[in-house]
Amino acid sequence: MAISNLFKRILLVPILLSSRLLVLGLRVSKRGSGTALPGLIVSKYFPFAFEALVNQIPNIIVITGTNGKTTTQTILNSLLSQSSEVKLLRNSAGANLLQGILSELMRQSNDFGSLDFTHAVLEVEEATLPRIAKALKPKIIAVTNLYRDQLDAYGEIDITEAYIRDGIAQSPKAIVVLNGDDPRTSRLADGLGNQTHYVSLPPEYTDSLPYEGETRNTDEIADNILRSQNIRINDDLTTSFDIQGTVDNVDVQYHNAQISSPGFFHVYNALTAVTIGKLLKIDDQKLMQGLKAFEPAFGRGELLVKTEGQKSINYRLLLIKNPASFTLNLDLLRKIPRLRLILAINDNTADSKDVSWLWDSELELLNEANIDWIFCTGVRAKDMHLRLKYAFLDPAIPISTMESIQAAIDQSFDKADDGETICVMPTYTSMLEFRKRMGLMLN
Amino acid sequence: MTLSLNLTHLYPDNLNLYGDLGNVVTLKRRCEWLGIDCQLKALNLGDAATSGQTDIYFMGGGQDNDQLAVVDDFHQLKQVAIRDDTEAGTIFLGVCGGYQLMGKTFLMGDNQETKGLGIINVKTQAPSKEVKGRCIGNLVVELPSETHAEMQSIYEQPKEIPQTLVGFENHSGQTYLGQDVAPLANTHAGFGNNHEAEYEGARYKNVFGSYMHGSMLPKNPHFADYMIWLALTRKYKDPTIKLKALPDMEEIAAHQYIVQRYGKP
Repeated sequence: MAISNLFKRILLVPILLSSRLLVLGLRVSKRGSGTALPGLIVSKYFPFAFEALVNQIPNIIVITGTNGKTTTQTILNSLLSQSSEVKLLRNSAGANLLQGILSELMRQSNDFGSLDFTHAVLEVEEATLPRIAKALKPKIIAVTNLYRDQLDAYGEIDITEAYIRDGIAQSPKAIVVLNGDDPRTSRLADGLGNQTHYVSLPPEYTDSLPYEGETRNTDEIADNILRSQNIRINDDLTTSFDIQGTVDNVDVQYHNAQISSPGFFHVYNALTAVTIGKLLKIDDQKLMQGLKAFEPAFGRGELLVKTEGQKSINYRLLLIKNPASFTLNLDLLRKIPRLRLILAINDNTADSKDVSWLWDSELELLNEANIDWIFCTGVRAKDMHLRLKYAFLDPAIPISTMESIQAAIDQSFDKADDGETICVMPTYTSMLEFRKRMGLMLN
Repeated sequence: MTLSLNLTHLYPDNLNLYGDLGNVVTLKRRCEWLGIDCQLKALNLGDAATSGQTDIYFMGGGQDNDQLAVVDDFHQLKQVAIRDDTEAGTIFLGVCGGYQLMGKTFLMGDNQETKGLGIINVKTQAPSKEVKGRCIGNLVVELPSETHAEMQSIYEQPKEIPQTLVGFENHSGQTYLGQDVAPLANTHAGFGNNHEAEYEGARYKNVFGSYMHGSMLPKNPHFADYMIWLALTRKYKDPTIKLKALPDMEEIAAHQYIVQRYGKP
C-alpha cells in the first residue's frame, strides 16, 4: 500500500466514526433515518473517502441507463449469489447518486474503513457516471437503454448519452455490455477501445420499443452478443425465453429460461445480467438457478398481499417512470382477462414534477383492455383521470379518483373479491407510499 | 350542416418533447364532443405547406438538433404558405420550443441565438448572467378581462369558465415581445416569458405562443374551445357561431387543483 493510500485509510477512521455518530444522532432525535446525509457531507468535505473505500473491492460492476437499472441489478445479484465465493455489495435502488453510493460504502465498512467484499454491483444514475468513473475504475459497465427519461431532470436525451459516453471514455479498461438494438445505446462505445458485448431481441419486439431513431440491425454482429428467442409471457405474468449467442467467444445456449417479471423488456435485463455473469466466470448451472430464483425488485412486478380475516387480495406493482415504461406496461395490460387497475401519480422530484409525460404515454392502448374498474390516486390523481377521459372511447368505463393512497388501498380491497389480483401502476414516490401503507418499508 | 376543421400538426416527428401531443389530442377529442368534424394532418420535414388548407396549426418543442433542422425546412417548404395564413387570421399555437421558433431569434442549447421562423415579432435570448438557471415550475396566469369576456360569449348556454390558465414551464430562453404582439396573460405564479416581465405568452392576430406544458390545453379547456371557436367563425365567416357548453368536470378539477396549490390568493 502506497504511503498516500495508507494515509487516506487512516483518515477514514475519524470520518467514519463521526458519520456514524451523526446517523445515530439523527435517529435518536427522530430527525430522519440519516441514510444519505453522511454521504452528502463526506463527499463534500472529504472527496478522497469515496475512492479509498471503493478501491478495496476488486470487481466493480456499474449498471446505468434510463430504464431497467434496478431490475438488471437485482437479477445480477441473484446470479452472483449462487456462487459461495462471491461477497456482494449493492446500493439500494434510488440511492444511485454519489452520496447514496458513498453512504452505502460507509455503512458496509468496519470502523477501520475496511470493506470485505469481492464484488460491488452498483446502479449509477446517468449524469453521475462521468463524475465518479475515474474513482470507481469499473471492471464492467452495462447500459440498459436510453429512453427519454424524466423530462425536467436534465432536459434532453442527447446530454444523457454524452454523460454515459464520457463515463465509458474515462474507464478504458472496463468491459462494456450494451443493448445492441437501441441505436443510442448500441453506439456508446464506438471509437473507444473498450471490449464490447451486446444483447438483442428479435425485431418483432424491438419494433414496439420506444427507441429513438432506427432500431439497429444486429445481424452483422457475430461475436460477443446474446440473443433471445421464443419469448412467451405466461398466464401468471412471468416470462419464458431461450438464449443463444457467444460471450468471450464461448457459445452460450439456454432453453426455457424463466424470470418472474412480466414483460419482454425484462428479457433485456436478464440477457445483460447473464452476459455479466458469464464474464465473471459464473458457471451455467448457477446462472440458470439464479434467473429462476430472482424476485422482482420492489415495484418492478413485485407482488404484495393484503389479508384481512378470510379475505386476501393481491397487488401487483409495476413502477412507471416515464412515457416509455408507462406505455410498455400498458401494452402488457391488454393481455389480462379482467383488469382492475390503480394508477398512482405523484409529482415529487423523483416522479417528475411536470406531469406532461402522462400525455406522451399511450393510455389509448387501454381501449383494447378488458377493464373492470380504474382508480386514480396520488397528488396528481386528477391529472391522471383527465388523461383517461381523453384516451377512452367508451365514456362509461368506471373511473374513481381519490388523492389519498390509503383510501385507494382500502376501497380497492373492499371492491375486490377474495384471491383477485389488482394491478398497481405507481410513480416512484407513490410506490414508496403504497408499500409503506401496505406495511412494508424500503429496507 | 356539420361544421368541420382542418388541424395541422407541424413536425410531430421532430418536435414532440414534453407532452405537447396532449394539445392535439385535446383539440381532436373536443371537436368530436362538440360535433365538429376535425381532420388531423401532419406536416413533417420534406412536406410542403399550402396556404388556405388549415384552420388551426399546432407546433411543439424539440431537441436542439431537431429544432435546427426544422428551421431550414420551414424556410424552404412552409414559410410563405404559413405566413400568408397567419397574416390572414389562421389560428396557430406554438408551445415552448415551438413558441420560441415562431419568433425572429431563438436559443440553441449552447445559448447561441439562431434565426427563427419569423411569423411573430418576438425574440428569445439567453438569460443574463445575474439570473441563473432555467425557469422551471408550475405556472398560473390570468387572462386579460376582455379575452375572458370574449371566451365566455362563445357558448350556446351560459358557462362559468376560469380567468386563469395553468401549466408547467421549463425553459432557459428569455422571450421578449416586439411591436404588435400582446402578452397572452399576466403571471400569478411562475416566470412566464422571462425573469423580469410579469406576463406569459404572446398573441399576434390569432397566433398564440406559450411556455405552458402540462399539457396546456387539457387543463385549460376554455382556451381550447376559444381556439376552436376562432377557427370556426373565421372559416365560416359567421361570428354568431356558438359552441355547446361541455360539462368539463375533470378538466376544471385538474385546473383548480393547480390554481389552489400554486396560485396567489
